[in-house]
Amino acid sequence: MNIKQKSQMLALLTLTAVSTSAWAVEEGDQAPIFDLPSIYADHPAISTASLAGKTVYVDFWASWCAPCLSSLPLYNDMYHKYKDQGLEIVAINVDNPIEDGLDFLLDTPLDFLIPADPDGEAAELFEVIGMPTSYLIEPDGTVKLVHMGFRSGDIEMIEEAIRDSLGGGN
Amino acid sequence: MRAFRTTLLLAICSLMLFSCADVRAWERGYLAREEMAWAPDALESSLNDHIFFSKEASSGGNSAAGGGCGCN
Repeated sequence: MNIKQKSQMLALLTLTAVSTSAWAVEEGDQAPIFDLPSIYADHPAISTASLAGKTVYVDFWASWCAPCLSSLPLYNDMYHKYKDQGLEIVAINVDNPIEDGLDFLLDTPLDFLIPADPDGEAAELFEVIGMPTSYLIEPDGTVKLVHMGFRSGDIEMIEEAIRDSLGGGN
Repeated sequence: MRAFRTTLLLAICSLMLFSCADVRAWERGYLAREEMAWAPDALESSLNDHIFFSKEASSGGNSAAGGGCGCN
């Protein structure tokens, strides 16, 4: 191997090492597979395998994120409205320590699944860019909607996408 | 040999960029903590800012509102 070839090889290796960051999950992609413990010590772990065949709304939230906190009670109402039609809501808490998230849940009880992801393992898989970010996942595992941030009026758009995914019910 | 040295230098410099770790979206709670604030006393900081504004007829530029979660 001559000097030129060595230089090219070194440049290629460096580029490969530097460009290891993954791409964010987008609409039309397959949702990443995760398996996380519940934020509640006495609740079972939550995995994508246990949610197979359902319409799942995955939301990443934290106690320090104001829009996340305003969205969660609205998601709770939506969960009660559509759970009989097969909707599951999985609100992944990324607080570290998880006690910060539990403090919020003491005042605002939520009835859907809340896994704890203090090390950001699932957030890393989804390559979450901002908080909150949510993903509507179809029963076949395809991401139908990616929604970042939460402003007034967003819930109608999200509800419409969920209704559409559940088969136009209600 | 010179080309190889230049590439080696560039490679080392590129690899050193790994030390510039970015704060991921889900880690921004750390930035919102009290101990991460520039000024330890918010009241004193706001008073100093007000005095500076009065003296210089200028305001802003020293800090930004929000906890740094990037969600506003």
